Amino acid sequence: MTGDLGVTDAFAGAGTVFRRELATVLRTPGYGVLAVGLLAVLWLLVAVGGGGATGFVPAVVDLLLPAELLVPLLAVVLGYRALLADAVSGEFAVIRTYPVGVVGYVVGVLLARLVALVAVVGLPFAVIGGYVWLTAAPDTGIFATHAGVDSPLLYVRFLALITLFGAAFLALSMWVSAAATSRRGAAALAVLAFLVGTLGGDLALIQSLMAGADPSTVAGRAALMPNGAFRGLVFETVIGVSFAQEGNVVDVGRAVGSLAGWTLFGSLDSVGTLAFRERMSTAIERSRFRFAE
Amino acid sequence: MTERSPTEGTPDSELPVDGAEPDRVVVDALTRTYGGVPVLDSVSLVFGPGLTAVIGPNGSGKSTLLGALAGTVPPTTGQVQRPNAEDRGRKSIGYLPQRVPFREGFTARETLAFYARLVEGDPDAALASVGLSDAADKPIEDLSGGMQRLLGIAQAMLGDPPLVVLDEPASGLDPGMRERAFRTAATHATDDVTVVVSTHNLDLVDAHADRVVMLARGQVVAAGDLDALRDEYSVDTTAALYEAARRDATLSETADDGDPARSGAAAEDERSGSGDDSDRDVHVTGVSER
Repeated sequence: MTGDLGVTDAFAGAGTVFRRELATVLRTPGYGVLAVGLLAVLWLLVAVGGGGATGFVPAVVDLLLPAELLVPLLAVVLGYRALLADAVSGEFAVIRTYPVGVVGYVVGVLLARLVALVAVVGLPFAVIGGYVWLTAAPDTGIFATHAGVDSPLLYVRFLALITLFGAAFLALSMWVSAAATSRRGAAALAVLAFLVGTLGGDLALIQSLMAGADPSTVAGRAALMPNGAFRGLVFETVIGVSFAQEGNVVDVGRAVGSLAGWTLFGSLDSVGTLAFRERMSTAIERSRFRFAE
Repeated sequence: MTERSPTEGTPDSELPVDGAEPDRVVVDALTRTYGGVPVLDSVSLVFGPGLTAVIGPNGSGKSTLLGALAGTVPPTTGQVQRPNAEDRGRKSIGYLPQRVPFREGFTARETLAFYARLVEGDPDAALASVGLSDAADKPIEDLSGGMQRLLGIAQAMLGDPPLVVLDEPASGLDPGMRERAFRTAATHATDDVTVVVSTHNLDLVDAHADRVVMLARGQVVAAGDLDALRDEYSVDTTAALYEAARRDATLSETADDGDPARSGAAAEDERSGSGDDSDRDVHVTGVSER
């Protein structure tokens, strides 16, 4: 077993694992169905909101709330079994007899699933952006360099934020897949992670305001959970720019750091859980054995 | 392979635990518990190059022992030392678990190509070594159980590891496939490769194994060179050896007054008439230093 690889070798095998995981994703027809389904839902939402002719920022406004639910949902679907499948089948034990570090394994799987996330989630949103570009009024095609003008660049920012937001939930769902010991358990944990991630922050914020918290701290605290960070960033860097508002929805730096932090947190915890779960259970057995002696 | 005292203690200085014999696999006072219940109880063995078959009834600890050899089952107490081949550019361990774990949706060649890339191996050569070249483009789910096991054996052999651990490679196979699986394992068990195989097919052990370890209730009841053990027990076949060793172990347990620490390999000591703790190692013809 190659469990004691040094830091230099920690990423060994990541590229090979990435290729295999990507091939697995490409051969899973369900993900294609999800992408088509998402595209249909997004198109419907934009159509109900007045169609592509209304411009990029109105389209973002129409899509923001659905994105807050659909992006985490699809990210969780993509990630909740990613590490569990090999663990349950026993293939992870075989892979560990090769020069593959846990870090390399998790990074390979995570990057492949991130590519899948961009394809399954990012692509439908991008297609909607293309639809708006083709059908919107002429002045929406301006690449705005100042506030108050609708622009494709604002929509590109929205896409980038969606990817960052999805990556955070993907990494957290990967952690779920590393911690779970069965498919059913993974599904239950994934639902929990989805609910806590999407609703928990807002509910906690509301609860704290009701308890008398200073409203001026909302901008800072809203950024701490992924949904609050994403929503705040969309308001600050997409919608707010177009409407030339004085932005104070969220602390931008903290929100970006929050999304990056959740991604890093999920990734590191996935590595830690895979690397130390067996050692933990062995340590418990060891204590129990010595206690019984 | 040497079977040592079932009691716990510091590593025996006679054992090559410091790499004096780098091709050997040393299992030293290995205990593995699940929920506090020992599945392996103070097992000490030394495995050398060649094919060693691990036999014993269901639940005797075979898979746990093989998992410990492969490094997938950490010991509760004790230790396992294996040859390290990574500094020689080789994989250290080849492992096939009891259930073949490959992903569906990939062909046999793609499956081996994934593993081969990790050790710069040749997937086509590996397929040919187990006679699966014609099935290279078949998806995993379309391969028969026997073919999947052969593919698993090919995977374990990739990267030329000095230790290959195959957990029941012949399980559920027809006689022809069983023979093929064992022949493949035996072919790879060369002068510098240790192959350890668990099985219930005692006729295949007769035909292919160099040495045997018999487990019962998590302890070693017989271990050593197969021919020497058959001579020792005055039997002609591994099946008869299995029955004789099991009978001895049962008798010994009864005489042992229910002391679990003295079952298993302790029976070996009593059978050989030794009452001295320092003398409780079982001598194995051609392997033991004693």
